[in-house]
Amino acid sequence: MRTKLNIREKDTKLYLPERAKVLKIKEFTETEKFFELELLDREKLGHVPGQFVQLSILGIGEAPISISSAPSNNNRFEMCVRAVGDVTHKIHALHEGDIIHIRGPFGNGFPEKTTERFLGKHLLFIVGGLGYAPLRSLINKVVPEREKYKKISVLYGCKTSKDRVYAQELEELRKTGDNVELLETVDKADGDWIGSCGVITTLIPKVPFDPQDTFAIIVGPPIMYKFVLRSLLEKNLPKENIYMDMERRMKCGVGKCGHCQAEGIYVCQEGPVFNYAEVEKNENLFAMEQKMKCGHGKCGHCEIKGDTDICDEESVFHYAAFERNERAL
Amino acid sequence: MSTKTAEFVVTEKDLLQGLDKATAEYKIAALTKKSGRVLYDTVKNSNEILLEYLPTVLPPKKFFFPQDEVILEYTSDGKINAKIEANPLVLFGIRPCDLNGFKILYETFADDHGDPNYLAKVEQTVVIGVDCENTCDEDAFCFKVGAQNATQGYDLMLYKFAPTSYAVEIANDKGRNFINKYLITSGARGDEVAIFQAKKDAGFKNKKPFKNLSKLPELFEQNKHHPIWEQEGDRCLSCGSCVMVCPTCYCFDVTDEWQLNLKKGERIRKWDACMLDHFAVIGSGENFRHSPTARLHHRISRKFNFLMKKHGQAVCVGCGRCVRACLADISPKVIAEAVGADQEQLETI
Repeated sequence: MRTKLNIREKDTKLYLPERAKVLKIKEFTETEKFFELELLDREKLGHVPGQFVQLSILGIGEAPISISSAPSNNNRFEMCVRAVGDVTHKIHALHEGDIIHIRGPFGNGFPEKTTERFLGKHLLFIVGGLGYAPLRSLINKVVPEREKYKKISVLYGCKTSKDRVYAQELEELRKTGDNVELLETVDKADGDWIGSCGVITTLIPKVPFDPQDTFAIIVGPPIMYKFVLRSLLEKNLPKENIYMDMERRMKCGVGKCGHCQAEGIYVCQEGPVFNYAEVEKNENLFAMEQKMKCGHGKCGHCEIKGDTDICDEESVFHYAAFERNERAL
Repeated sequence: MSTKTAEFVVTEKDLLQGLDKATAEYKIAALTKKSGRVLYDTVKNSNEILLEYLPTVLPPKKFFFPQDEVILEYTSDGKINAKIEANPLVLFGIRPCDLNGFKILYETFADDHGDPNYLAKVEQTVVIGVDCENTCDEDAFCFKVGAQNATQGYDLMLYKFAPTSYAVEIANDKGRNFINKYLITSGARGDEVAIFQAKKDAGFKNKKPFKNLSKLPELFEQNKHHPIWEQEGDRCLSCGSCVMVCPTCYCFDVTDEWQLNLKKGERIRKWDACMLDHFAVIGSGENFRHSPTARLHHRISRKFNFLMKKHGQAVCVGCGRCVRACLADISPKVIAEAVGADQEQLETI
């Protein structure tokens, strides 16, 4: 008695991934690898900077991964994957020529109406660790057309010099000249590092900017935002001029499953790129609780470094404690 | 409610016989008893159906959104198929609270990104609602959130206006076709729904909605740090029972499973719960809702704030299932009252 279902064609493919071929793999760090993929069933991905795809390994599962390349007119795109879970470890075990699956692109990213605001302005990219992967899609879009902007400053902070992703490209970016500058820092310097040492906020005073003529774009680990925001607001940068890419563990990508929800916002739909003025009251977006068990600085569950138990700091990171704390970033 | 009219009247005997006849085309699911427990389940014969309502543990959303459901099938050589399965079903005896739940879930799953698995099941199902004359027990608070009446979510609605007779309201063509094919009816006089409504009004006489029902989103927005959250959240055991029994919770997780021979695999969608500890953990290990209080705040605020704005009605339908299931006696009603849902005069709004 089955009748043909009357469902929109596009809806029947909501959870159906498409094939993509691994063209190139490069090793960046111990935990991060670069992948160039080619879509086999579509002419182009059609993404805007800051969007993500659901990368799928059949039999293992899906993981949300940022698109790392600038929008293009062909069927190729790039990403940088950190091995943290089942899916991403399996992705790291792939070889060139292997077929995987993707759904997407998802999220709002930086659409035309956002990037239009950037024209003629000073762009301040503030990037922590693997945050370079999603922001590279925007950096690689604006740097080739740098004459359209007043200045482009990329501030990049990592735990150590070994954690830098796209290291070779960073050297090229440094040499770009014109109105493009790259400032780097590491939390903990090792033997080879001759650059700055300190958390990412220590770079902000080194870049003079006119608050009315500047846009900041922030991506990094969850704890970074609060401190970067504080530094920028101290310098009178208007809240409307601050964009943040705040990723969550998006599972369905289509505003249903609830995993990425922060208060009323589904990050996979209205994010992951947010204007600070629009979301500053969303406490859940900025929540960063650590597991506190004893509450007296004894058990160690909330410890970030030997000398900083968060529960002893009234659940709030003190800036001073944060600054000397390399595991916090 | 007075605007509702019934075109037909059906006797209890004809109704049950009609359902028996429909088994040729449909599976029939209704309120029934199994091992002494009341639940919604498929029945083979109408004599298994309970006509008087008793609260169930699980809401009937499970017929549209099952606990686990295969959404993809694939083989080791890379063939993938989106599995969208739905079979003809009659869902009989659904009460207004759950019909409101159906309406909310439908709006969620039929948005711009239509969920094919959900929509296919809705399309293949004839929902026959039955209105209530009174609340089912002490825990139900449908009347507090305006969910004791349903205006959507059904194809046919029955009003029991006499001991063995129902007035039938037809909501759409699907309902009309079902009547024409399976139910022996007689024309309605016109006053049947009003007779039922008088009984219902008497049953709900002292059961009034929250005084500030329409202002709940603002109230919850203003009371993010009200002491009630800690007070109730401290008792929460993070078991997730409230989510599992909720007619309007739809969070899910997706997992992949290979068959033992590694030739075929499936991607399965399963119910998940935002009250569970791991729910908002991201890849790098941070948990955005680490404490039970934060999770309770999230779930209850979804019902009365975040999603209420989207659906234009409280997304908690007051069925009372989470109240009955909660080991720590946490109730959305108590929280809503604490933030001022029933307060006479609001100073700040």
